[in-house]
Amino acid sequence: MALIEIDDLHVTFDAKGRHVHAVRGVSLAVAARASYGLVGESGSGKSTILRAICGMAPVTGGEIRIDGRAIPARRDRAFARRVQMVFQDPYASLHPRHTIDRTLGEPLRIHGVARGTERGRRILRALEDVGLDPAFRFRFPHQLSGGQRQRVAIARALMLEPEILLLDEPTSALDASVQAEALNLLSRLRAERGLTFLMVSHDLAVIDHMCDRLTVMKEGRAVEALDHAQLARHDMKADYTRELFAATTERIAAAE
Amino acid sequence: MSLLEIEDLRVTFATEAGPVEAVRGVSFSLSRERLGIVGESGSGKTMTGRSVLRLIRAPGRIEARRMSFDGIDLARIPEREMRALRGRRIAMVMQDPKYSLNPVMRVGRQLTEGLRLRDGMSARAARAKALEALEAVQIRDPERVLEAYPHELSGGMGQRVMIAMMLIPEPDLLIADEPTSALDVTVQAEVLRILDGLVRERGMGLMFISHDLNLVSRFCDRVLVMYRGRIVEEIEANRLSQAQHPYTRGLLNCLPTIGGPRQPLPTLTRDAAWLE
Repeated sequence: MALIEIDDLHVTFDAKGRHVHAVRGVSLAVAARASYGLVGESGSGKSTILRAICGMAPVTGGEIRIDGRAIPARRDRAFARRVQMVFQDPYASLHPRHTIDRTLGEPLRIHGVARGTERGRRILRALEDVGLDPAFRFRFPHQLSGGQRQRVAIARALMLEPEILLLDEPTSALDASVQAEALNLLSRLRAERGLTFLMVSHDLAVIDHMCDRLTVMKEGRAVEALDHAQLARHDMKADYTRELFAATTERIAAAE
Repeated sequence: MSLLEIEDLRVTFATEAGPVEAVRGVSFSLSRERLGIVGESGSGKTMTGRSVLRLIRAPGRIEARRMSFDGIDLARIPEREMRALRGRRIAMVMQDPKYSLNPVMRVGRQLTEGLRLRDGMSARAARAKALEALEAVQIRDPERVLEAYPHELSGGMGQRVMIAMMLIPEPDLLIADEPTSALDVTVQAEVLRILDGLVRERGMGLMFISHDLNLVSRFCDRVLVMYRGRIVEEIEANRLSQAQHPYTRGLLNCLPTIGGPRQPLPTLTRDAAWLE
């Protein structure tokens, strides 16, 4: 059985009197320890799916199950221990006036785990796991580069030792060389800890590098689901997938 | 003679911790060609582009041994003369149309404002010229776009409006700073085709600033690679795959490719010697 199951998911917002149907009947299943990608252009609804899982967007139809059970209407602490999210912009997702120590300690404090010296030890280990020097512990986000901040955001998501990481464009705010480091870090952590990834990106090459299987999205709908091997063989059925593929490879092929 | 000639350009910011050099002795020339400037954040590529139009505020300071555009000494002319060059002879397109267009003014008024105020054109003639400019960037229903507010346009449409606006005065040089980075890949290709056509037809010089090496190599004639305020390599765009500098090579190698190996991506090891 799959760890994450999404069945005919609909998300509808009312934005300033306008009815926005952001996700229109998307279904997918992610096996435990697998890495699943959602790819599409802006407004395709890919990030909204992650937000719906976390309770940050209203589920107006369909069902989301984790480990076979429907997720609770109000996401509780037990949910937060299993599922964590990493956001796109490390400049916006870290509290600017909290030290890294406080940012990483907060999930532990809220969940009442690891008090006193144990908390400090966990924070130092978390920094080490994401390749940051212990000297960063008492710094503020503005003293860190974009790549270092995203490492902190990843460390924070892992503080409660979740099984599932939802990754919303985790590297698209980063320079190419820093992106490579962050993707390598995520792959290493997934292998070491047996994590399950559901990852969103507009960059098909990033999703292809990171994921075993992916769904291409457009205008709130799932256009096509493919696995890694099918993509490598160009074995796609939808015109839109082909277009996205061509636009991505054209950019790269020109330099070869 | 080249359209733009720059020798030993330096941009320095006075900070509490002492002066910080964002651009450290950059020299290049640009003819009626497409010149790409690539580098990662903080490499000084945007500052280099903005220096040409003197668009750097205090505490930033621009210095150069020589900075000439079509025989005009950009480093020495008074602000009044610089203002006459901006937009009319040297135009600039920025990254995100959302922040470059006036949100409470209809597109039509923004497009014709310059023509009416600067060139003293009649409302009707300015409107005709604006329609023509929108058609040149392949906007299908220019009449509707003229009546629209910027928030009613998609990102790709907004960026085409920006390009149309910059091209109305028929500048000799266009500085485009990440003009397609905020756009989706399928829209990106379209905007680039439009820019390319305009450069070819009008014989304009283009300075194309981007972090995307592959994009620049496909689109430009010549590429300057910047690292920490310096040009570390200059190369013909179609020879990019033979780049020599380890920084350029590192940038090319660290990108994932579709169907590429599942191993960790090569990362860039920065060498202090690159700063020399």
